[in-house]
Amino acid sequence: MNARADFAASSSVECVRARPLLGTLVEIAATGADADSVQLAISDAFEVVAQVHDLMSYHADDSDISRINRDAYTQAVSVNAHTMCVLEMAQKLAAASGGLFDISVAPTLTKLGFLPKRANMPRISGQGNWRHIVLSAYQVRLTRQLRIDVSGIAKGYAVDCALAVLQNAGMTAGRVSAGGDLRVFGELAQTVHVRHPTNATQLLPIVALTQGAAATSAGYFTQRRYQGRWVTPLINPLTRTAAGVSRSVTVLAADCMTADALTKVVHANPATAIPLLQQFNARAIMLEADAATGACKVFDTSSVAMTNWHARLVA
Amino acid sequence: MSDFDRWLLVPALIIPAALSAPAFAVQYMDVGQAQKVLFPSADKFDAKVVILTAEQKSAIEASSGVRVRLGEVKAWAVSQAGKPVGWFMLDEVYGKHEFITYSVAIGADGTVRGVEILDYRETHGSEVNNAKWRAQFVGKKAGDTLKLDEDIKNISGATLSCKHLTDGVKRLLATYTVALK
Repeated sequence: MNARADFAASSSVECVRARPLLGTLVEIAATGADADSVQLAISDAFEVVAQVHDLMSYHADDSDISRINRDAYTQAVSVNAHTMCVLEMAQKLAAASGGLFDISVAPTLTKLGFLPKRANMPRISGQGNWRHIVLSAYQVRLTRQLRIDVSGIAKGYAVDCALAVLQNAGMTAGRVSAGGDLRVFGELAQTVHVRHPTNATQLLPIVALTQGAAATSAGYFTQRRYQGRWVTPLINPLTRTAAGVSRSVTVLAADCMTADALTKVVHANPATAIPLLQQFNARAIMLEADAATGACKVFDTSSVAMTNWHARLVA
Repeated sequence: MSDFDRWLLVPALIIPAALSAPAFAVQYMDVGQAQKVLFPSADKFDAKVVILTAEQKSAIEASSGVRVRLGEVKAWAVSQAGKPVGWFMLDEVYGKHEFITYSVAIGADGTVRGVEILDYRETHGSEVNNAKWRAQFVGKKAGDTLKLDEDIKNISGATLSCKHLTDGVKRLLATYTVALK
C-alpha cells in the first residue's frame, strides 16, 4: 500500500505533440507532474516556435527577414530581439569561420531552386557577403544590396527558445526537435538516431545525450537536380557551390543554435572545422555512405580533439 | 594545425548496412485528445460526415490548388454552452515516405486556430502508396499497439518536408468554405 502511494506521489506524465512549423515537423515532448500542466507547457513552447517562424520566414512579406531584404540597404530596419539574437550569432560565426558560415547565400539557394524567387524585392548586387550586414541596437543595415536567409540557424534558435519555455514551466524532462535539430534535458540519457545519408528512412543510433543539442544537416530530403547533377541546399559561401549528397554531418553542442549553424561550416570544409568546433566547445560526427556495401563510415572529431562532450557513440 | 584533418583519415566506427533500425512511427494523440488540445473550453463535438459532390470537389480544388483525393470529410461542429465556436476537422496526407493523420481547428471566424499531428509514419519502401497498408492505421487510437519501432524517439537530421501537410491544411480550409460554412 505504502509503496503504491509513494509511486503515485512521485509519478509523472510525459506528453508528446507535433505541429507543422518552420517548414518541417516540430515535435515537443515534456515530462511533468500532471497532464494538464504538461500540455499547457507544450502549447506555450509551440507558441514561441511559431513566433520565431513568423519573424524569420524568408517567404512571408511581413517577417523581419523580408523587411531587411527589402529596406535595409536604404534605411536602418528595426527588428525583434529574437531576430537580433539570431543575426548576432550568425555574424559571430561568420567572423570566426572566415565566412564559411554566411547568411547572405540566399541568391545561390534561389538559383538552385531551394528558395522561391521573390517579387517586389530590390535587385541584389551579387558582390556582397556577411561583412555587409551591420548590426546596431536592434537595427540592421545592409551596406550592399544583399538577400539574407537565416534558415541555417533559426531552427536551432527556435528549439532553444522552446526548451527554455519547458524548463521555466517546471518540467522535469523535455525534448524539442525541429526537423531533427534537437535538444534535450532531464535525468535520463536519450539515444539520438541519425538518418542514413543515402537511405534516409534507415535510422542509425549514434549518441546518448542527457542534455545539450544535436543538429544534423544532410541533403536526403531536400536534394534536387540542378543542371544534371544532384545538389543540396548546403552552400559553401566562399565558392558558392553546394555540398554533395553522400554525407551527413551531426554537431553536438550545448545549445541548438550553435549546433545547427556549425553543421553548415563542417559541410563546407570538414578538414578545417576542428579549431572552430573547439572554440564553440562542439563535436562533429560525420557519416559517409559506402555505395558498394551500404555500410556507413562514422568520423568523430573527438578522436583528435576532446571537448567536454562525454556523450558516447552507441552503435 | 595541420593535424586537424586527421579525424577524416580513420573512421571511429563503421556501421554495417544490416544494423540499421526499421521504419519509424509515432502516435501523438487520439481524436479526443486533439479535440481537447485545440478547443480546451468547448463542451460539445457534434460529428458530421459530409460527402462532397463533384461540383464541391472541383470548387475546393480550384480555390486551394490542391487535389481532393477523398470525397468524405470528417468534421465536428464544436460548441460551448450551446454557442458554436468552430469546426474540428480530421484528415490524412501522404507523400513518398510518410503517412500523416492530423487535425485542424477552424474558429467561428473561419481562420485556422491550430493544427495537431495525431500519427506520423514512415516507411522505407512503397507501402505508403498502397491503400491497404494505409488502411491498417485508420481508427487506431493512441495506445493501441502497432509496433514498428517504439524505441526510436530522437531523430537528428532533416525531417521530411511538411509540404503535403501545408497543402492539406489549405485544402481543408477550402473544404470548410465550400461545404461547412
